[in-house]
Amino acid sequence: MNIRPVRVEDLPGMQACNLQNLPENYTMRYYLYHAMTWPSLSYVAEDHKGRIVGYILAKMDEDGGEDAEPHGHVTSISILRSYRRLGLAKKLMVQSQEAMATIYRASFVSLHVRKSNRAALGLYRDTLGFTVQDIEKKYYADGEDAYAMRLSLKP
Amino acid sequence: MSDIPAKRALPPKESNLFKELLTLYETRQLKKGLKTADLILKKFPEHGETTCMKGLVLTHMGRREEGIELVRKGVRLDLTSHICWHVYGLIHKGEKNYEEALKCYIQALRFDKENLNILRDAAQLQTQLRIYDGLVETRHTLLKIRPAMRQHWMALAVAYHLNGNLVEAKKVLEHYESTLKNVPDYDVEHSETMLYHVRLLEDLGEFTEALAMLDVSAKSRAIVDRTSIMEIRARLLSKLESDEAEHAWRVLVEHNPDCYEYYQGYLSNLGLTLDATDANAAKALTILEEFSTQIPRATAPRRLALTIASGEHFRELLTRYSLSAFKKGIPSLFSDIKGLYKDLPKQQIIEEVAVAARDQSSSASSASADVEPTTYLWTLYFLAQHHSYLGRHSQALEILDLALAHTPTLPELHMVKGRVLKRAGDLFGGARCLEDARFLDGQDRFLNTKSAKYRLRAGMVEEASSLLGLFTKKDAPSPGADLEDMQSLLYLVEEADAHNRNGNFGLALKKYMAVNKVFDEVEDDQYDFHGYSLRKFTINIYLNLLAWEDRLRSHPAYVKAALSASRIFVALHDDPSIGTAATATGGQLTDAQKKAKKKAKKAAQKIQEDTKKATPQANNDDKGLEPTPKDDDPDGSKLLQCTDPLERASKLLKPLATLADTNIEVWIAMYDVAVRRKKYLQASKALARAADIDVENPELHVRRLEFRQTVSSLPEPPQTVAQLLAETMTKLLPDEVASETFNSQYLQRHSTYAPAILAAARVQVKLQAPREQVEETVFTITSADVVLDIKTALAILTFLGTIASPRAEELRTWCGGRFPLSTVFKPAAELVALRELAITAPHEVPDKAEDIP
Repeated sequence: MNIRPVRVEDLPGMQACNLQNLPENYTMRYYLYHAMTWPSLSYVAEDHKGRIVGYILAKMDEDGGEDAEPHGHVTSISILRSYRRLGLAKKLMVQSQEAMATIYRASFVSLHVRKSNRAALGLYRDTLGFTVQDIEKKYYADGEDAYAMRLSLKP
Repeated sequence: MSDIPAKRALPPKESNLFKELLTLYETRQLKKGLKTADLILKKFPEHGETTCMKGLVLTHMGRREEGIELVRKGVRLDLTSHICWHVYGLIHKGEKNYEEALKCYIQALRFDKENLNILRDAAQLQTQLRIYDGLVETRHTLLKIRPAMRQHWMALAVAYHLNGNLVEAKKVLEHYESTLKNVPDYDVEHSETMLYHVRLLEDLGEFTEALAMLDVSAKSRAIVDRTSIMEIRARLLSKLESDEAEHAWRVLVEHNPDCYEYYQGYLSNLGLTLDATDANAAKALTILEEFSTQIPRATAPRRLALTIASGEHFRELLTRYSLSAFKKGIPSLFSDIKGLYKDLPKQQIIEEVAVAARDQSSSASSASADVEPTTYLWTLYFLAQHHSYLGRHSQALEILDLALAHTPTLPELHMVKGRVLKRAGDLFGGARCLEDARFLDGQDRFLNTKSAKYRLRAGMVEEASSLLGLFTKKDAPSPGADLEDMQSLLYLVEEADAHNRNGNFGLALKKYMAVNKVFDEVEDDQYDFHGYSLRKFTINIYLNLLAWEDRLRSHPAYVKAALSASRIFVALHDDPSIGTAATATGGQLTDAQKKAKKKAKKAAQKIQEDTKKATPQANNDDKGLEPTPKDDDPDGSKLLQCTDPLERASKLLKPLATLADTNIEVWIAMYDVAVRRKKYLQASKALARAADIDVENPELHVRRLEFRQTVSSLPEPPQTVAQLLAETMTKLLPDEVASETFNSQYLQRHSTYAPAILAAARVQVKLQAPREQVEETVFTITSADVVLDIKTALAILTFLGTIASPRAEELRTWCGGRFPLSTVFKPAAELVALRELAITAPHEVPDKAEDIP
């Protein structure tokens, strides 16, 4: 599969991929907001016909206030079930992290994962080296808790 | 200003109140604002500006109609006030009526030439409407008023760029950069600015200058986006035919070894391609194999090598590639290499390699411990897809039965089985298998979506909805409403198609129009970015956004929805009774659906009411300027009863004339609408465009004859029209060719192609051939050498129905034999049981989906 930086025309494919895979969905406006604000942080995986089969939608977290360390945040990442076991999530994540560190000098990257999502938790922790930072109670719309995870980007 | 008209002038007290009113509005203290406005109006009921402001406040408070009426009145009372026109513009903008809004802003600017807010809004409207010459002017004015604002410079450069004047854009940008002092390191906005500058130079063809600027800026850390630097650098060096280009591409490959474009760039820089038939294919292959060795973790070079390699070398590479995939259990292997099937020898080799792998793993898994039993499973999985793709349904099913006996718990196997059955025409069986897959992993939304999609394909709309509801928001009025809010085009198109096939044209139209609405929304989404992106200096992606929005409706989901909806509208025009009949003849099923819809509508209303109640200060609550969407047609019956179906169809199709002009179906649909609107020139042009694409197309064949009949029955068209029509007709169907000859020759040319046979039969009906003769034509599809698929077979059966053929059942039975696995040709009574079987739970576990009320 082809791994490359996102282009505007990929956003509908990204949205479709997200809707097929995950219960957290967003309207196009939110995808546009990411692309128009941090154009180099999101990546896609596409098949030979140009269909988006996986993506990482990422941003810089600016909630931390003036003196907080700049850090990246993964809004959403997913791979279509039929394209798993190719290591695509890791490849997407690595590219995005590199961009966060070089462009915005992010010192770490954060993300949220459902407590019940063992597969994703395994990926983030074991494959990508994230650690659980905190538990955010009732983070998801349906009341489920989230693990807040982090990975340091400092060499 | 001294020249305030008497009717606008207020005494000091009211004048202060008016200023207060403006502040209250700005800070959205609506209730207080309303009171203040009323205080002024008590004494000066004819004061236009206050009237407008009151209207604006009321609109924000949700008293929309009243508010807008007041704004209109206020404008009439004071036609030379910029405030009145500004307010009126805001109202239009809220309704997304950008043309009217811009007109108001232009009026406002006549009376207040240097109003920054109005100028900025006008610029955004001009961009939204693509009025780029006007935009340049507005941006100029803004810059003149506030030259110290950095973004005004950027905005003018972008305006020139959009208006096609790159040279002027460059000048403005250079001037802007020369004024910059002390730009801090790692300034992302400045980095984006410089990247835009480099792009401008590249677009102007000034590659050397672009490269120099890129290199200097990269070195000084003015540009910090490393990936962009590397990409642009490689591209520019290639364009300059520099010796450094090869290295630049190599750096990119090493940076991201899974990006196909980088390999393509590397090869094309050396004059090589990814084409296997290229004389230099061997060279390209060697390079890719070198990359594979150097970067073992990358799959891209190994996969690309498969495209170029041939013969025994291909076999060798494929064996390595596929064995590793079987071992790892990579489910996407088939879809990954499907593209190679175009090449028949490769297709053969793939089969041989997979069969050998299966035989080896089958015996090995029982004998030795170092071969995983799953390897055998994944070879079976691959082979099943292989056979299915080549139309060998029974072979695929045999293999899947083996695999499922081996491991019944792998959802992927059930999914493939479902696809095989679907392709073979057993839609209920397909839905059954997908449900089996879903049951094995209820937490996976992907399996859920697929299962629901298969139910929709089998026409089970309600059953699909209850599945989808397992993952949609629980507080949404219905699963469909949530998916519509989230702009799921997949869901909207699939459900619309299902309703359409079920004959529920109202609901089908409703969902197709919802697709259109999603595209309207995305078109509106760009509006805010006309200001936002300039402030963020992310110009490159912003320019890409505008270009993308201009082609938005070329998206397959829009094309599909527009075509299908326009066909329903045309059918409604031809026979308005299908609008009323459709809901009546649906029987029990439709009643059930109606009930569900009613329920959904009630639930939606309740939610709206609840949120209203939950807000304490309801009358100070800012509802914004956008009208809240109301759904007063939940089952689409109003759509079915519309009096202007052709105009609606025409509106949907219009963007496709430029965005999908290579799609023959678009021109056929446009013809169908135009000819009914008696726009004969337009109709003839559409047919001419269709003929340019594929003159032998069966649907076009029918229209060529139909159009001849239509034109010859016209009373007396005006001379010029008649002449133009005659010209196209000569091309489409010359006078000297008799209609019967035209048809029989067509049939002869395409006697083994079922869609053409159907087209010829339809033309026979138009030429009033005896029914027996038409039937005889239709039955030639039963000849062994005819290419026939299930879709065409179903269309032919429907056609026999329209001519009340007594032989329809005979053909239906034949089709059942021709497509032995299919269920679509079975009698209705048998289908009921199959349908039941498709949705019952596979085990004795209660299906959670059934619990959803």
